Amino acid sequence: MRLIIREEPETVAKYIADYIIERILTFEPTPQKPFVLGLPTGSSPILIYKSLVARHKAGDISFRNVVTFNMDEYVGIPRDHPESYHSFMYKHFFSHVDIPPASIHILNGNAPDLEAECIAYEEKIRLAGGIELFLGGIGPDGHIAFNEPGSSLASRTRVKTLAYDTILANSRFFGHDLALVPRMALTVGVGTVLEAREVVIAITGAHKAAALQRCIEGGVNHMWTLSCLQLHPHPLIVVDDDATLELQVKTVKYFRSIEAVANECGFGQRLSSELRTGVKRAAIVEELSSPKTSPAGGPVGGIGAKADAFLLPPVVMPKRPVTPELVPDNMASRLPVKAPEVERTIPEELPIQRMGARVAPLAG
Amino acid sequence: MPSAISDSSTLGAQTGITKFTNCLLVRDNQLVTEDLWISTITGKILKSQEVFYGNQAAPDRIIDLGGRIIAPGFIDAQLNGAFGFDFSQEPESSTAYIKGLRSLNRNLIKTGVTSYTPTVTSQKAELYKEVVPHLGPSGELRDPTEGAESLGAHLEGPFLNPTKNGIHSVSVLRDAPTGFADLEACYGATNLLPHKSPIKYITMAPELPGAMSNIAELKARGISVSIGHSEATYEEACAAVSAGATMITHLFNAMRPLHHRNPGIFGLLGTESPSLRKPFFGVIADGIHLHSTSVKIAWNAHPDGMILVTDAMSLVGLPDGTYDWTNGSRIVKRGALLTLEENEDKIAGSSITLVGCVNNFLNWTGASIPDAIKAVTSTPARMLGLEGKKGSLEPGADADLVVLTEDVSAEGLRDLRVEQVWKFGNKVHE
Repeated sequence: MRLIIREEPETVAKYIADYIIERILTFEPTPQKPFVLGLPTGSSPILIYKSLVARHKAGDISFRNVVTFNMDEYVGIPRDHPESYHSFMYKHFFSHVDIPPASIHILNGNAPDLEAECIAYEEKIRLAGGIELFLGGIGPDGHIAFNEPGSSLASRTRVKTLAYDTILANSRFFGHDLALVPRMALTVGVGTVLEAREVVIAITGAHKAAALQRCIEGGVNHMWTLSCLQLHPHPLIVVDDDATLELQVKTVKYFRSIEAVANECGFGQRLSSELRTGVKRAAIVEELSSPKTSPAGGPVGGIGAKADAFLLPPVVMPKRPVTPELVPDNMASRLPVKAPEVERTIPEELPIQRMGARVAPLAG
Repeated sequence: MPSAISDSSTLGAQTGITKFTNCLLVRDNQLVTEDLWISTITGKILKSQEVFYGNQAAPDRIIDLGGRIIAPGFIDAQLNGAFGFDFSQEPESSTAYIKGLRSLNRNLIKTGVTSYTPTVTSQKAELYKEVVPHLGPSGELRDPTEGAESLGAHLEGPFLNPTKNGIHSVSVLRDAPTGFADLEACYGATNLLPHKSPIKYITMAPELPGAMSNIAELKARGISVSIGHSEATYEEACAAVSAGATMITHLFNAMRPLHHRNPGIFGLLGTESPSLRKPFFGVIADGIHLHSTSVKIAWNAHPDGMILVTDAMSLVGLPDGTYDWTNGSRIVKRGALLTLEENEDKIAGSSITLVGCVNNFLNWTGASIPDAIKAVTSTPARMLGLEGKKGSLEPGADADLVVLTEDVSAEGLRDLRVEQVWKFGNKVHE
């Protein structure tokens, strides 16, 4: 868990916008390998979008190769209703940047079959290669997207009935006429958010202090759905001073000191991109699974084995092809042109060969 | 930094959509910072969010206006001619008249007037039959290169009161004692066919014999009636409105002045009831026809009905001198002032541009820019029954646009300048 504390909502927004831009730039997205971004609506995100738009207009960032998935949408209000999340996103973000409309995904609250819409949404996320970074905010009750208290932490994209309090709170956007307020919404699930490779949450204001406290200092609990982040490998929460009001002083000091030390070391809070860690992981896996030498009869072989004088000379292992270094690029880019057949067969054959290599000396 | 106009190749597929950004839109009574999407294919303003999500289409051209104002193209509801061409002139030939008209349209649009109602002053019956068929709505082909578009003719007379003739020749003025047959005899029956007429509205004096019944008949045929060049009392004016008149032609000019015991035609602006709506009214804000305070009073009485008109003559843009006019009269031009040669006390129309009227109005009243723009866009559009089609930036309206810059002098004088003109979604002047 990374917790970054800034003075005001404006500086929180700027931090997050800069962070996202840096992530996109280092990702170097292309049409074949787009950056997949999860997006929220709400009051905290408005400032983040403003900051992103300003930097787009300054020429710092293009969203041409970014694919987006929004968290949620009301059921049953027209797409161009001023309170729809389509309208929100258009007004605050999409209309000001160069993202192609076809790269935008927002749940359709007017779909004839809402359940099918939700299933298709999950599939679309999967086909896009999963979400690289999910941006979010929370409600005062600690909910993320429309996953209100009591939502399963394993939930997927689904139709959600709104709590009466939420309907009451929303009525201010619908002329205080309860009859006009949507009763249902489509939302990604807690599980969907957790599957993103990185989750970035903005929390600002004293009214969200209790929620932040429960989510960070409390245990994982479906009554505060954001606490699910404790189970995520790469969460980043950026908050303003007001939001820390309920935290213990030592918690605040702890996270502040972490940030200070990280800055001192010169790497800030930057998460190594999947691109780099992916290459590194492939190299390590390769090293682990291709022993250069093996101690005699050693069933586990491999690691750190070296020939010592007092040991019998090592058994010469049968030759096997060297696993090529995996480049976690887009699947499609591997397919065309040269000898696709051969390339495709290598990863499939490898495990079989490796297993055989290990078993052989035992049997002998 | 993004360039002012992005190349289409960097923006993906050709969609024929142009987006104006970094601009102020005249919307209702305010200037709002918002983008505007138009289609060069349909020549209309788009509902951008629906196009974006529904058609998954993005603009292929983005125009950064650097904070300038976009307003609907101006509508001049009373224009007698311009650039040496007079709509009321006796045509040498039909082709010469059409040629002159087309040349006027192409020049007029550069002043920011994208549509107008060509106005024919009181003439002999033969002239109407000759010229009116050429003056009907001209935008059917939606060709931006044709310039300003006629929305239909305005016939100012000849059913006017001889005592309020202004510069109209008394010799051709007439009344209609036998009713609609007199109108048909004058204008030609084919020019008065219901809902197919080239005539948009007719100015008449309601106190003349037969006038009231003609108002109702014209209204039924889709032709509006404006009260003007009239001695009408308040009561007669009210009766005209009840009969269907919806407009007052150049308020204050060529009518009885406001009298406290009988407010006359002006009194209509003080009247509002479900059965008697306040009419629209034209105002010539050239600084010659009216005192600025009179304009202010009228505007305050009925801000939603005010239409700024030029009442400009063909002499706009010509050098000072004496020029032949219709019916044997001659007009003396001295700067912006036009008078009749035989009677130099009579003002003979104006030679101001419509944006000049807007600027005068801004400086006289301290009105906001949207208030002033409204008087040459959405209000005349409503008067002409074209609400939402012309004079509007709402989706579905024709993309007739002007790009304006406001300069404020050291003395605090405001000056709107027309910097670009767009017609049917295409830029036609910069």
